Amino acid sequence: MAQAQHNRSAASVTEFCRFARENGLPNGVQQTLVALEVAKAIELSDQQVFALALRAVLASSKEEWDLFNQIFELFWSASQNTSGPDTKEEKPRFNSHRPGASPQALMALSASDSSEAEPEGKAVSGASAQQRLQKVDLADVPHDDLRALEQISMCLFRKMSQRLSRRRKLRNLAEQIDVRRTIRRNIPRGGNPIVLAFRGRKPQKQKLVIFLDISGSMNSYSLFLTRFAYALQKYFKRVNTFLFSTNVVEITDLLRTRNLPDALRGLSQRAAGWAGGTKIGDSLRDFNRQQGRRLLSNNTAFIILSDGWDIGEPEMLAAELRDIRRRARKIIWLNPLLGLEEYAPVTRGMSAALPHVDVFAPAHNLESLLALERYL
Amino acid sequence: MPTSPTIPEDKQINGVDDLILRFEQLGYVTDRALATAIYLVVKLGKPLLIEGHAGLGKTEVPKVLAAMLGTRLIRLQCYEGLDVNSAVYEWNYQKQLLAIKIEEKIEQTVEEKEKHIFSKEFLLERPLLQSILAEDASPVLLIDEIDRADEAFEAFLLELLSDFQITVPEMGTIKAKHVPYVILTSNRTRELSDALKRRCLYHWIDYPSYEKEMKIVRARLPGIEEQLGGQVVRFVQAARQLDLAKPPGVTETLDCAQSAMTLGKHRLDVQAVEETIGCVAKSMEDGAKLRAAGIEKMLS
Repeated sequence: MAQAQHNRSAASVTEFCRFARENGLPNGVQQTLVALEVAKAIELSDQQVFALALRAVLASSKEEWDLFNQIFELFWSASQNTSGPDTKEEKPRFNSHRPGASPQALMALSASDSSEAEPEGKAVSGASAQQRLQKVDLADVPHDDLRALEQISMCLFRKMSQRLSRRRKLRNLAEQIDVRRTIRRNIPRGGNPIVLAFRGRKPQKQKLVIFLDISGSMNSYSLFLTRFAYALQKYFKRVNTFLFSTNVVEITDLLRTRNLPDALRGLSQRAAGWAGGTKIGDSLRDFNRQQGRRLLSNNTAFIILSDGWDIGEPEMLAAELRDIRRRARKIIWLNPLLGLEEYAPVTRGMSAALPHVDVFAPAHNLESLLALERYL
Repeated sequence: MPTSPTIPEDKQINGVDDLILRFEQLGYVTDRALATAIYLVVKLGKPLLIEGHAGLGKTEVPKVLAAMLGTRLIRLQCYEGLDVNSAVYEWNYQKQLLAIKIEEKIEQTVEEKEKHIFSKEFLLERPLLQSILAEDASPVLLIDEIDRADEAFEAFLLELLSDFQITVPEMGTIKAKHVPYVILTSNRTRELSDALKRRCLYHWIDYPSYEKEMKIVRARLPGIEEQLGGQVVRFVQAARQLDLAKPPGVTETLDCAQSAMTLGKHRLDVQAVEETIGCVAKSMEDGAKLRAAGIEKMLS
């Protein structure tokens, strides 16, 4: 037993916490300290109780609870054979930037910057043109109209976000009398409640997380959808935007820059060197592991902009969406292909995802993007 | 830094096995995992978060713990819209208004009047304040179904759980003399905030094995015939395998067994199940599913 006792000394508990952290059990210094405390409080000779106690400290959900046993076994068996645990689980997908061609979508994004200097398109003028452009499929916009559409869209997106914030204010007018403050205010009046104090519910600020597909199949749309994200980010305070194809990258900070061309240039640099396919499930998993806890809460709307063409496993996509659904208020999936008449969401990925999605709507033209207002 | 809860001399617990034994004496059958967690609650004074499906005895844990330690159980039931007024404290407004009226004629400055109506006499203690104010020993504080309260309340709890003190603006800060043992339960209808989870020990309570459930039935229904008990447990365990909207917990097992006993059954047959089906299936659809799965097959 002396060997076992030695294994469970303070150093090895600390080592174990670190090992657990690397293998998907997020825990901080605080947990390590508690784990050490726990190790002191129980009889170390009892391997089972030791494991159970550590599990109570380090795990904090059913999933982590299940994961713990594997990690525990792996660690202690490894540390018995060798001096330290070097059989770390393979974590293939984390931050493994694969070299490859730049996705064409983003090339297109930066290419459109150069057209900035061109004179404004003549094909559009007046209100009727504006209405026509709202309905035209984003993939079919004539090159001449691009800039005009861009201007209209920015203007409309701004109006939409203003309407949204205003709507929230009006809705929160319902109020209750606050007896406590009423009494306090009326003490100088001998306690007669002359001036009433009210209380209302604090308005919950809506948060948005935007998950934008920039894989090859989304090429013709991502140009505008990125602008859409930019507009949302500009007028909503709490928006986090991510780009994904086979990897995920957060672009919130880039979109915060004041002018759009700068932001787009930054984007194409950041996403450079990505492979072209789409792995929605894997991307969502990376997001969940790294950012999910920070960003998702029950006033968050999670918006996915993707066509649902996926080379990953549908089961994983469904599981990750379920996980997001549990934490977020709603999942909105905007699919550009839904605008096509012959399209039906029967691809493996899309049909696996649909049961977990609250709103499934098209995103093929400006009008459909503006309809997002209804779902928020 | 709050001190650990104080345990009376004669209630000292010697290890996890001792705790299992004592819980069993009080009619609660527990496994080593849960016992270890509870042991750490008592030893380290850490809050414990118990998650699991409904009807598996989550709420029972603090009750038994309080009975074992011989202390008071203070319960806070969470619900949507729970606010500080109903969780921590509130002023007795009616009484304050009356007092102001009565004292109208008395020569007192406004400050004196204010001091009087915001004294302890007018304070309504809600569960969280009660748990802090305990005079003689550490109480057990049960915060039930925390997942139903909103995030703002969770944040407030965080503060309480780290400092064990409450500030009443009119009276000042009240610090706990005896830090309570805190047990939180959640049905997992929503994910709790990370910060709260990190502060707590965690236990996931799962459906019991056949042996454990039998032990529970024997402990809670001492008069039950072995054959009947076995049949009920087997039946409910089979029902859990079906995809019911609300899978039956241990509570349902006990209800079903008790109903069968009350009806004078000696063994569970199709007719007996039909008569007591409401104990296991809690909706029309679930009842239909049970019947479709073949009650006879589930009993064999």
